Amino acid sequence: MPAELIPSSGEGQPHLLKLPRWQNAGDLAAEVGDALLLSPHLTGPVTLLGGDWPLRMGDYQVLMARLAPLSLSLERVCSLETGARVAAAALGLQVSGPGPQTDGAGDGGQGASLSLPFVIHQGTLRSGEHRRANGSLLVLGDVNPGAQIRAEGHVLVWGRLRGIAHAGCSGDRSAVIVALHLRPLQLRIADQVARGPEELPPVGFAEKAHLVNGAIQIDPADPCWPLLSVPAQRSGPSAAGSA
Amino acid sequence: MTPAPARIILICSGKGGVGKTTLTANLGIALAKLGQRTTVLDADFGLRNLDLLLGLENRIVYTAQEVLAETCRLEQALVKHKQQPLLSLLPAGNPRMLEWLTPEDMKKIVELVAAQSDFVLIDCPAGVEQGFKNAALASQEAIVITTPEISAVRDADRVIGLLNTMNVQPVQLVLNRVRPKMVANQEMLAVDSVTDILALPLLGLVVEDEQVIVSTNRGEPLTLADTGSAAGRAYHNIAKRLRGDDVPLIDPSKERKGLRARFLSKIRQMGLF
Repeated sequence: MPAELIPSSGEGQPHLLKLPRWQNAGDLAAEVGDALLLSPHLTGPVTLLGGDWPLRMGDYQVLMARLAPLSLSLERVCSLETGARVAAAALGLQVSGPGPQTDGAGDGGQGASLSLPFVIHQGTLRSGEHRRANGSLLVLGDVNPGAQIRAEGHVLVWGRLRGIAHAGCSGDRSAVIVALHLRPLQLRIADQVARGPEELPPVGFAEKAHLVNGAIQIDPADPCWPLLSVPAQRSGPSAAGSA
Repeated sequence: MTPAPARIILICSGKGGVGKTTLTANLGIALAKLGQRTTVLDADFGLRNLDLLLGLENRIVYTAQEVLAETCRLEQALVKHKQQPLLSLLPAGNPRMLEWLTPEDMKKIVELVAAQSDFVLIDCPAGVEQGFKNAALASQEAIVITTPEISAVRDADRVIGLLNTMNVQPVQLVLNRVRPKMVANQEMLAVDSVTDILALPLLGLVVEDEQVIVSTNRGEPLTLADTGSAAGRAYHNIAKRLRGDDVPLIDPSKERKGLRARFLSKIRQMGLF
């Protein structure tokens, strides 16, 4: 399968540039050149799904040089390869882990969280642990003070949320934060930030934080949690990235 | 029959000054008193003071450094305690050891010591840097000690998270310097709120006790003499629980309430009110 440029799934969404598996691929410039030839009319931001490609700063520069004449701009890099993520971050690009699955990318009209993988984290996140998910994130356990969770989709905590949670961290304002016991230090949804509530939450009632008229508001949670798609990934505490 | 393998226990906290070394010294004495061959190992190479607390500073000839370099035998480096010969100390070498000690070196030392002990207690340095990692990688189980302060609890939480990734099991909790009066007045974190966050089995509660300072400065751990101090009793109980004995845990803040309630009800019974 050659590299392909997948058109944006909706207004404000980037195009996805998906590279083939590194082992059976050719030269980066050639691969990308082919992909660009096939869809010459696209313009705007591009997310690179780098897969296992060991891309370095020079590769990104080559790539950006190819994209620029077509009014395409590389803004985000999803990669499985650590070195590639570090290099992308060094160039000031947004970086995330394994890229979103592209099979749901055609169902326009719905929030970004729908087309992204749904990640389950099993175990408590302790102080200093940072967990980030490309799609929605469900934590089966507590999020302790000092820990941080971020998700491009929803953040759901089946336990106590006492750390910092950021839902819709790449700008999805429809994302929500739901927890059985919602008393975070700080809540963030898309670009909004709020301090957590001071008083104790009601015992036995799950709560959700969402954006109402641009401000974060806490309400009793809906009985039906936004578990939108089938679990795509599972990870244990050992997989938690700590920074 | 080969003897049961030694239990290698890391005593750590993350934050400094919460009582790692004091716990190590007292637990060492208490275990020795229970008839266990115990070795305490000072892994705090930068700021060593376990030898001070045990009153053994002036007896040190060789240290872990010479044992590793094989310029002395382990028996020569181990310092036996005066009153409790079952307890011995392997002193930390010079602070420059920090620069070159690897987890393998640490494991080698611990294995040597473990071959002739029932319990090996490793006094861990504060922090979560290389010194902590070396010590943790050489340990099987751990005791995390913390005080009821948010900073100490936060650091303990971080340490527990790291221990989980290093395969150290089980991890148990000791809550140090609890002041029942302040807890009752809600000026201090309650025992419940600490265990709530850390979610670890509570191995012991040590109340704030001035005697600890006195004994530290004298170089005689509290558990050495049976003074009947509250903290001393707590350390003895921790040693027994560690050995597997079933010693009930009493929350001092609740015990206090209990006493007062009992006292009041007695007065009522006497018909004074």
